[in-house]
Amino acid sequence: MTTDRIPKTDKELWQSLSTGPVASDAVPGTVSDMDFAAWLEGRLSETQSAHIEAAVAANPEMRLAAMELADILGMPLPAAPARMAVRAQALVGFEVERRVANRGWLAGLLDVFAMPRAVMAAATVIVAISGFMLGGGLGESYAQEKVASTTQVVSLTQTQQTNELTSFFTSDGI
Amino acid sequence: MSDLNQIDLRALAVGNKRTWDQFVLASTALINAVVRRSLSTYRLSEEDVMDAAQDVYVRLCANDYRLLKTYDPARAGLSTWLAVVARSSAIDHARRRRQSTTPIDDVPETALAVEDRHVEKLKIPEGLLTERQTLILKYLYDEERDVAEIAQLLKIDAQTVRSTHHKALLRLREHFKEESS
Repeated sequence: MTTDRIPKTDKELWQSLSTGPVASDAVPGTVSDMDFAAWLEGRLSETQSAHIEAAVAANPEMRLAAMELADILGMPLPAAPARMAVRAQALVGFEVERRVANRGWLAGLLDVFAMPRAVMAAATVIVAISGFMLGGGLGESYAQEKVASTTQVVSLTQTQQTNELTSFFTSDGI
Repeated sequence: MSDLNQIDLRALAVGNKRTWDQFVLASTALINAVVRRSLSTYRLSEEDVMDAAQDVYVRLCANDYRLLKTYDPARAGLSTWLAVVARSSAIDHARRRRQSTTPIDDVPETALAVEDRHVEKLKIPEGLLTERQTLILKYLYDEERDVAEIAQLLKIDAQTVRSTHHKALLRLREHFKEESS
């Protein structure tokens, strides 16, 4: 970095002057982060820049901030400690967690009462279904019913045929 | 490490976890550098630096990402805006920390003393210098910055800084010469 020698007399002249009123009259208010960033990137119009430059000239902290930020933004950055990223990432949860966290107190209250009942209902349904499955299920019972009715019809037909033959032989037909 | 410019800002502002993680990975180097530089004069511990950096992220996602939503990509790059936010957040953190930890008895008396110098200064009339001229003179003489630094900050040539400085001094000399005569 080059260091330019400024004539001492110029410096003395400047130091004998009070610059307060110039700057304070020109600063209408505070500078937003967005405006300051736009100024640092040189994206503002001349009028907008003049407003920020007046504010920066009036405020030593802003002058320091501008210098430091311009310096940092213009150089390669060293890597940050890994735990800095880990801690920051933990600030935002997954979608499901956020949805649960956003639920109101009423939903929470309902959960307190509804949860045990839902568990009981689920357990009952599981017991009923497993019992039914152990018993063969709906298909098995239907099949049994069907077989039973078919056997009944067959036996009924056979009985009828037997009766007819017997009556044929015992009748005068032969 | 992903690039800050590739971050989906809409997804970030609605709290998308993956986008947030990418954003954090892309921004920690910058935030770390800004926070460390900002806190360098406060002589704080490594844990304070970590807490100050965490504060920056807390600010960004607090109140449903209110601060993050104020960022306008049309006006400045995300890294520049983040650097500005990180610096002000770090300074706030350091001030809070110092207020809560340093008893008044520990502060040297010289630091609290107010210098009573009755030096009458000449007032620069309003409009005599432009804002840029005033700023350049302040950087050169009040803060003793060199021309190259000022040129880098203002995104202008070093020669422009020199000529602005020269014109400003000519105006001042002319004005006060007229006044004295």
